[in-house]
Amino acid sequence: METLQFLMDGFAVALTPTNLMFALFGAFIGTLIGALPGLGPANGVAILIPLAFTLGLPPETAMILLTSVYAGAMYGGRISSILLNIPGDEPAMMTCLDGYPMAQKGKAAEALAMSAIASFAGSLIGTIGLILLAPALAKFALTFGPAEYFALFMLAFATLGGITGKNPMKTVIAAVIGLMISTVGIDIATGTQRYTFGILKLYEGIDFILAIVGLFAISELLFFIEERAGAGRKMIEVGKLMLRPKEIISALPTMFRGGVLGFIAGVLPGAGASLGSFISYTLEKQYLGKKGNFGEGDPRGVAAPEAGNNGASSGALVPMLTLGVPGSGTTAVLLAMLISLNVTPGPLMFTQNADIVWGVIAALLIGNVILLLLNIPMVGFFVKLLSVPPMYLLPMVTMVAFVGIYSISHSTFDLYFMIAFGVAGYILRKLEIPLVPIILGMLLGPEMEKNLGHALVISDGDWSILWASPLALGLWIVAGLGLILPYIVGPLLRKRMRAAIKENPTSD
Amino acid sequence: MTARGDRILGLGLFVLAVAYGWAAQQWPEPFGGAETVGPETFPTLLSVVLALSSVYLIVKPDPDAHWPMGRTAAEILLAIAILVAYAFLLEPLGFVISTTLAVGALCWRMGAKPVPAVLIGLAAAVVVYFLFNYGLELSLPAGLLEFE
Repeated sequence: METLQFLMDGFAVALTPTNLMFALFGAFIGTLIGALPGLGPANGVAILIPLAFTLGLPPETAMILLTSVYAGAMYGGRISSILLNIPGDEPAMMTCLDGYPMAQKGKAAEALAMSAIASFAGSLIGTIGLILLAPALAKFALTFGPAEYFALFMLAFATLGGITGKNPMKTVIAAVIGLMISTVGIDIATGTQRYTFGILKLYEGIDFILAIVGLFAISELLFFIEERAGAGRKMIEVGKLMLRPKEIISALPTMFRGGVLGFIAGVLPGAGASLGSFISYTLEKQYLGKKGNFGEGDPRGVAAPEAGNNGASSGALVPMLTLGVPGSGTTAVLLAMLISLNVTPGPLMFTQNADIVWGVIAALLIGNVILLLLNIPMVGFFVKLLSVPPMYLLPMVTMVAFVGIYSISHSTFDLYFMIAFGVAGYILRKLEIPLVPIILGMLLGPEMEKNLGHALVISDGDWSILWASPLALGLWIVAGLGLILPYIVGPLLRKRMRAAIKENPTSD
Repeated sequence: MTARGDRILGLGLFVLAVAYGWAAQQWPEPFGGAETVGPETFPTLLSVVLALSSVYLIVKPDPDAHWPMGRTAAEILLAIAILVAYAFLLEPLGFVISTTLAVGALCWRMGAKPVPAVLIGLAAAVVVYFLFNYGLELSLPAGLLEFE
């Protein structure tokens, strides 16, 4: 029951008034970010990083803030799915299928409440899974040597495109670009200047916070301008809430199944929250078969994907916290925060920074209760915010990005850098080069190089050490599969996801 | 079906890979003599991977995305110009004035009417300025509005 003791210590960290306040603030902002179209969770967490940084928050508080934002964004994504039929973020896509028809039938309030409860259930299951699985995985990861780590990083890149990813070669290219950016600066091991071109600013390397904010926030602004989606859309009225306890109870098994499936999808590399909600919804539909009227506004059709994507978001924290290898864009951004706080992610974090890890886990549990309490009575308020048109919202977000970056270093040079990354991000997104592997490359580059170096020193220059141990070889094989499978399974899965959405005549 | 975008990208990346890899071979031997792993090992590996994958991209490009042309392209360039001007003017004009201009201009170009756009910009600038300078004690430049 060592874990329970740690968890109690975690609660002691998370329940201090300051941390509790930041958890509340984070949950609120997160819901907002998730709800507003054009501000995904990765995006939202990214623009908050510089702020958390400049406020000089202690590491555990900063992490609690950002994890709450992360959890909140998963809650918020459902609001625009249900009311506008536009998913606030990708994982909320499946919620449109039954959420919007429910809203059209005048049951918007019920759909919102049901999905909030399902989100809570999914998150709770996911967090319990995290508590059970993470310490064990961390212990196992302690046996990893440099060769295994190198293989693990390869695995992370290979699977990042996800099973639904389009062109795996573009994931490879993106990852290499990120890794290349990470080599700029003075080499830690030898002191050699690499790619600095004699510019003093580049000696310390390129700050990934700049890159993340530029790639996400600025490129999003440019995308909105291109699509001329500034005006926003009309939305459905939210009526009075009339949810009977019986309905909630009848959806409980659905939530449970969704949460468990979502958690598993979240932990597995390359699956993530989108797949979590997709699997939960499809399996639930098959399982209940004709007993439900899925696609026409079945409350269980709202409960399943919401439980799934929230379970997955907790599950995605498992590889990030235990191995230092994030499985999704948002967890990659959380990892960036950890690295900037000088916390070395990985299995050692569980012993060396137990207060941070367990504080974050406890904050997730508390955050979920806060989110549930916040989301049922205050849903009207969030709905109002949803009607803020992007033409006002995105310039504000851009301003927050400017303020955040400027206040880190008080240098306008960094702002130009951020804009450059934003323009590059826009062009790369147009060319369908995914941005998340670039960021992951920048984050993992130094560790990857270090582990490669250590492995080769141990073997005295023999490259075969990288796949000598069975564990490393296994990781390489999974990495290979992660690159090849999307070619085979990807088109099939994408077709089914699209078919599932098209099948539904009311959703258009 | 054209695929010029990916081909140009592939070509550009190939050049980058070669230049990047070549530069890595030029570094002086680190102090203490060459070892099995030097500062150039990892970059060399990366340049090979990038060169191979960029060749793949040239040989098997994806169909082109729809690139903005004409007015939309001009709008995007204008937005980038506004951002650069914002960064440039932030210190000389101060946070409040430059933010009012930048946020106002962006709102306007995204479809808001000019007057509400500037008002929104001004309101946002003032709120954030006071929040940062007095609430959070992080100083944003006052610029022209600085009083002695």
